[in-house]
Amino acid sequence: MQLRKLLDSPCGLRFMIDNLCTHSSYSRKIMLESSMMYDKNSIEKSYAVMKEFYEVVKNDENKNIVQSLQFKLCNLKDINHTISRLATSVVVDDIELYEVKSLALLSADVKNILEKISLDKIIEIPNLDDVVKILDPDGLRIATFYIYDSYSEELASLRKKLKEKDVYQEEIYNEVMRIEDEIRAELSSKLKPYSEAMTLALNALADVDINIAKSLQIKEMGLCFPTISSDEISSYKGLFHPEVKHILAKEKREYQNVDIDFELKPLIIMGSNMGGKTIVLKTLAMCQYLLQFGFGIPATSADMMIYDEIFCLTTDDQSINKGLSSFAAEMKNIDAVIKSSQQNKKILTLIDEPARTTNPTEGTALVSSLVKLLQDRAMSLVIVTHYNIKTYNNKCLRVKGLIDGKMNYELVETHEGEVPHEALNIAETLGIDSQWIEMAKEIISVRS
Amino acid sequence: MPFIEELIKYKSCSIVGLEKNTGKTECFNYVLQRLPLENKRVAVSSIGIDGETTDQVTKTAKPEIFLREGVYFGTSEKHYLMKRLSAELLEITNENTSLGNIIIGKALTPGKILLSGPSSTNGLRRWMDEMKKYDIDLTIIDGALSRMSLASPTVSESMILATGAAYSANINTLVQKTAFVVQMINLDLTSEDNREVFNDIKNGVWAIDEDDVIHDLKVASSLSININTDGLKKCKTLFVSGALTDNFINHIRQNKIFNETEIVVRDFTKIFLTPMTYNSFVNGKRKITVLQKSKLIAVCVNPTSPNGIVLDSEKLCKTLSEAIKLPVYDLRTKAVGF
Repeated sequence: MQLRKLLDSPCGLRFMIDNLCTHSSYSRKIMLESSMMYDKNSIEKSYAVMKEFYEVVKNDENKNIVQSLQFKLCNLKDINHTISRLATSVVVDDIELYEVKSLALLSADVKNILEKISLDKIIEIPNLDDVVKILDPDGLRIATFYIYDSYSEELASLRKKLKEKDVYQEEIYNEVMRIEDEIRAELSSKLKPYSEAMTLALNALADVDINIAKSLQIKEMGLCFPTISSDEISSYKGLFHPEVKHILAKEKREYQNVDIDFELKPLIIMGSNMGGKTIVLKTLAMCQYLLQFGFGIPATSADMMIYDEIFCLTTDDQSINKGLSSFAAEMKNIDAVIKSSQQNKKILTLIDEPARTTNPTEGTALVSSLVKLLQDRAMSLVIVTHYNIKTYNNKCLRVKGLIDGKMNYELVETHEGEVPHEALNIAETLGIDSQWIEMAKEIISVRS
Repeated sequence: MPFIEELIKYKSCSIVGLEKNTGKTECFNYVLQRLPLENKRVAVSSIGIDGETTDQVTKTAKPEIFLREGVYFGTSEKHYLMKRLSAELLEITNENTSLGNIIIGKALTPGKILLSGPSSTNGLRRWMDEMKKYDIDLTIIDGALSRMSLASPTVSESMILATGAAYSANINTLVQKTAFVVQMINLDLTSEDNREVFNDIKNGVWAIDEDDVIHDLKVASSLSININTDGLKKCKTLFVSGALTDNFINHIRQNKIFNETEIVVRDFTKIFLTPMTYNSFVNGKRKITVLQKSKLIAVCVNPTSPNGIVLDSEKLCKTLSEAIKLPVYDLRTKAVGF
């Protein structure tokens, strides 16, 4: 799974990616085309590299040097096409030679800066000094290029002749062109052996850019480095949703972080409306993606499992476009989860209010049976529901809810049958038509 | 030629043709050959393609652009590789065109080149900003077709106008039409106070009344003529941020409020008036002024048109010069009218 394909998943990953400040479009492309990691080793390795960068970036004393690095990386261009042309012995033109020279000089510059902050061993950039030598015969070390006079004495003397007269001298110029073409062919074949090193350098530079951007994001958003859980429990302290937190901060309101942990078992979250349950669900999905793409995690601490597959089924699914009713679309989606769970995979499934669009009697039966069906599979199933379902002794959480007219978003443990009845109270605090609410209250009291 | 001395007083100059085949490129080459390169750094580019050997529309022979050693230039990747001169590649900019990114180069030998610069006025302005780091003393922009917008003072400080038989085959009509354009270019600057008030206004039509109170007339553009004059007894100054059209002028001319109004536009490229409308509006009390003005350095004529008409060069230069009170040059025959 590529990061690009997950950008518009309802969990809100796009906000994190859009806020990532990469300095070259090539790095961004590399990042978006990176694939999700599924093994502990590669995830831990990527965090180890990033941690080294973070140690440098978090220190304000290094601000200038980090900025100079970012400034350099702005010049990183995707020249894979040119490199592959060189590798297949094509004679490249002046523009391509300029690109190669720029890359070689940029690699040397970035390598230099990394050395100063002792990061040169963390991401190793291949040495392209020989490439610089080929394309900079005069040793000027500036990123401009032409077929220099020093490549050929004949060329130098012909150019001198051209300069003598301020008119176009066709014959001499044709000769100049011939020599320039010869030199280009020679340079191209000289550069061919370095094509592999150039590709490596290009990707290493993008890697530096991405690691700086991710580290800065950790610093600016207050994210944490996760640990990979050794037993089968995921546990978050101080979890938050960055985008919602950002919106609240703009309105000068505070985001209440929550703690949550779950195992390879169903977890049922109940609780009042407006209790932030859906946000918790989305945050969990996002965190899982962030872990498996090697980003900082929005929590104060996170000990996380790695999954083979992640499903996040929320109410804002756009299946209507496929011509299905909301109920049909939902059933199909859950069906896919069940099918996948039969394939010996470790799965994280997050479902927001399953079967909400049908009658409560059948809805409750559908959700209860889903919990029973999936409880023994290798799956962490987090379900948000308002139905009074059977939980088969699985863990239940509820949002603390309205306390003195204020919402407390904390998640506390609860038991089967303790579905909170706060909908009417909450509606009242919203200032909804009182006649309506009173009538509803009457109906409830008659029933009970 | 005297106008070169005038030209080098400015940081930028655009060469604008009133029609295709009015000798723009020839004028461009003429200027380039005579600039004192030994003590001036010169950069050239064009808006859109220029310098092609045959005209893309009329298929007539066109002069190529000839650069001298040391001139900086901006052209697309495609045309950079087709250049007929040795040049140092200084930078590949992020400015995009359909022919690739714009490349900044410096001519190392004299030779020919096709110029294809940024295709929009904004792109051109960004390119000129980017050139600042090379300490350029003078930037010359070649226009494509009859694009006036690049002569806007927001892009270049000065301009050279190219006109000729291709614009009109009758000397009198040609002189009349050119003289009107020149008249628009030379419109007076508005007062400093007005410039201060209007300079940052980006849209709408605004009026200042006798008591110096500013009214927003709630017009999205002067193309819609339903202006709201509630509470406005007499308009002293009217600022039109967008295009000034015949329709708009004819509408307000009927309104007594605007009997003694000065209309202010950003620059002459925003004026889309026929001479008739302009003359009927402007009288002793009413006038049109601009916020920004570019200096018209010279007018060049090409008496030959692509369909074979050849006008009398000397007569053309003389008549036109009398009408616009400016020197007029025919660069090919070296005829001059003063």
